[in-house]
Amino acid sequence: MTAPALEARGLTKRFGPVVACDAVDLSVHAGEIHGILGQNGAGKSTLMNLFLGLISPDAGDILVKGERVHVTDPFRAAELGLAMVHQHFSLIGPLTVWENLTLGDHGRIDEKRISRKIREVAERYSLDVDPRARVDSLTTGQRQRVEIVKCLLRDPDVFILDEPTSVLTAAESVELFAVLRRVVRDEHRAVLLISHKLDEVLHATDRVTIMRGGRVVAERPTVDTTAAELAREMIGREVSLRSMSAAAVGYLEAAADEPVAVAPEPPVGPMVLSIRDAHAVAPDGRKLLDGVSLQVRAGEILGLAGVEGNGQKALSDLLSSVLELTGGLVEVEGQRVHAGRPGAMAAAGIGVIPEDRHVSGCVVDMSVAENLVMNDLHLVSHNGMLQRRRIRDRAAEMVREFDITTASLDAPYRSLSGGNQQRVVLARELSRSPLVLVAAQPTRGLDVGAIEYMTNRLRAAANAGVAVLLISTELEEILELSDRVAVIHRGRIVGEMARRDVDLDRLGLMMGGQAA
Amino acid sequence: MVTTPVQAPPRIEPTPAVPATDRGRRIREAVFVVGLYAVSIAVALGISALIVYLTHGSPSTVFTALWDGSFASWGSFGYTLDAAAPLLIVAVGTIVSTRAGLFNIGQEGQLTIGAMAAALVALKIDGPGPLMLVLALVAGALGGALWAGISALLRYWRGVEVVISSLLLVFVAFQLLSYALSTTALLHETGAEGASLTESNPLPTGARLPRFGTYPNANVSSAVILALLLAAIIGIAMSRTTWGFRIKMLGLNPVAAKRVGVRAAVLGSMALLVSGASAGLAGGVVLTSQAYRITPTVSNNIGWNGLLVALVARNNAWVAIGVALLFGGLHAGGGYLASTGVPSDLVDIVEALVVLAAVFPPALLELRRRRARPQAVPAGEAG
Repeated sequence: MTAPALEARGLTKRFGPVVACDAVDLSVHAGEIHGILGQNGAGKSTLMNLFLGLISPDAGDILVKGERVHVTDPFRAAELGLAMVHQHFSLIGPLTVWENLTLGDHGRIDEKRISRKIREVAERYSLDVDPRARVDSLTTGQRQRVEIVKCLLRDPDVFILDEPTSVLTAAESVELFAVLRRVVRDEHRAVLLISHKLDEVLHATDRVTIMRGGRVVAERPTVDTTAAELAREMIGREVSLRSMSAAAVGYLEAAADEPVAVAPEPPVGPMVLSIRDAHAVAPDGRKLLDGVSLQVRAGEILGLAGVEGNGQKALSDLLSSVLELTGGLVEVEGQRVHAGRPGAMAAAGIGVIPEDRHVSGCVVDMSVAENLVMNDLHLVSHNGMLQRRRIRDRAAEMVREFDITTASLDAPYRSLSGGNQQRVVLARELSRSPLVLVAAQPTRGLDVGAIEYMTNRLRAAANAGVAVLLISTELEEILELSDRVAVIHRGRIVGEMARRDVDLDRLGLMMGGQAA
Repeated sequence: MVTTPVQAPPRIEPTPAVPATDRGRRIREAVFVVGLYAVSIAVALGISALIVYLTHGSPSTVFTALWDGSFASWGSFGYTLDAAAPLLIVAVGTIVSTRAGLFNIGQEGQLTIGAMAAALVALKIDGPGPLMLVLALVAGALGGALWAGISALLRYWRGVEVVISSLLLVFVAFQLLSYALSTTALLHETGAEGASLTESNPLPTGARLPRFGTYPNANVSSAVILALLLAAIIGIAMSRTTWGFRIKMLGLNPVAAKRVGVRAAVLGSMALLVSGASAGLAGGVVLTSQAYRITPTVSNNIGWNGLLVALVARNNAWVAIGVALLFGGLHAGGGYLASTGVPSDLVDIVEALVVLAAVFPPALLELRRRRARPQAVPAGEAG
């Protein structure tokens, strides 16, 4: 057997105390599609960035065709025959396809020559690409084809694709894999496919390497494995719980195997939030929500698990009144709420801690006090005139109650630390006594203490009778807090179960898009 | 989107702001701003002096004339106030739309339409003087609001950027004015000897804003009071009312504003109408306090300059009072300078340089602010 086209030996990369890649061994051979499977944060992207020279390893080696190389930057990677199909940011919208593909070339610009080359490549792989089309006018799938052609023009030995189907429709994905198959079979190149989708890995790859927590946990031929096995390897058995309340719930392994012993009875309050068959599309025609149906009862925490980019953002936007539905409806306590009408969801009693607190949760250029009262101006004004005393009093009370560390009430919101910014949002949303609290990735980017504070607050809100919808890509968080777990995949709910009935294998399958 | 170019270490909190260093930074920042203004005005005056010197003039005479014509005596201060009043009216309206995140730059056109509407009412309708004056000013405001309303309609119905539509409508307004001035049924002067001129009849004295004082004391139009009143109203509305609060939210973060129930189309349109009405009112004020008749140059750059006043005042209505005074003084001084025999082109250049000097620091500060905040990603995408 010849040397692998691309090989990693003991590749290690640390970011501060976090080991993103821990002694990773990997070999990708010419003529095969090699899948790398893993959850968010498993180290897949770090590994790719190492291969492409975007970051440099702390230890270990990269070998190309058996020779040790130093990939200092992406240009060096290109020289070595490593090409990455980028999803975003590498095409210039107002330019045509051929103009984009001639960027970076030297010498005279020859439209005819480059267009001919593009057509040749496109024809060889049955890729439908028009060199004279403006990139702006192309769909996401078409843009990806342009990216692929761009890589093929460089005649690479190893083709790297990072979550290539996350922006594609099902039909476009099938087409993509047909092209990849041709690249591998007819031209004996190697393809490295990064994915968190089980079906994709099962159908498209020859070998699969599974990563978890920065390490390679398994590597095997795809034909010898099953979706269930992959899911188990991807999620792992020894999931550790992070905060103090972990002790109360017990370790996940125990919880999953002997559910009756520790899991609390799901509360049976009245139905508060009900989403029925919600459909929504992005401006570019992509489906954001594809028939989501969800119910949350008073006093329970429903954890919505799923791999990032499967409609979580859209769901949180919907409940923040910033997304319109093309079908379906949202009800709070049986009353229909007009989706997309400004402030309607908030008025109906839905509080949201959005994932992107800078973009939709707060106004960073306004003061802490202003951000604390902005939802309830009627409480701090009289006949349309703001009452500064009441603003200060109300804000001061929230700062005290939620223990927000700020230089002053008039300090700009942007000057707060991440944890305190999140507390401002939490304080504002909880202080209006919501019926429903939506928390989207509520602990992302926070330190351990702030995470514990946040999870305790969510638990307390549920105990006080609020219907809590926890949207998170972190399985530990979901399992630790939820009474019930639902899984979202490609804009629809693919499964739902009580916390005590959680079966990790099944959960993993559902997150990977397998009906289970 | 699932991938990030380089995976950052998770869970690292920025250090919280400490009050002590915060104050130090604020003082340094203030010193920097003052220094910036001083340097840029000094550079402008230096270049002006150089140009005057190169054209065989005397820089000291020019600067003395600028000062004498604007702030040196009560008489000249009256001219300064007269010039400042319409600028301030335009500026405070502009502040409302800019704060709402809408860049209305068509004040020159809105002012032109306002002046025309005021003139039509004052010239075509008979009535008691004070009533006619009020009606003319109201018509001016409505005319300006209508003109800005077109931009609002295009923005929220068709998605046309306000900065584009409002600018282009300026030229439409100019064309309308020249049509009206050449049409007898509209504004073209009637009567024996002046019938060939493209200007309107003079306003009846009853429809003119009262003036106070006589030269050499300050001779000032009551428009000054109107302008100060409007500045105070808008200053208070922006900082003390829920309306102003919501306008600021809309301008700073439309997504967050929508979450809490701000309807962008309603509030944004309202902000544009207010800014258009102010510009239109300024047109009415120019007509009824200074020009007394419509000519093709009735707007006289007051719309553009009012926009600049708002920009230099960094959208603060109280600061705008001082800035308008500065711009008014420059205009009055420039007029006086021209009367001393300095070529009017040169006067324009000196004026423009000083304006540039006043506009440069806030523009630089805004740039610095934006660069310091690269994480403010626009909403949309991902998901």
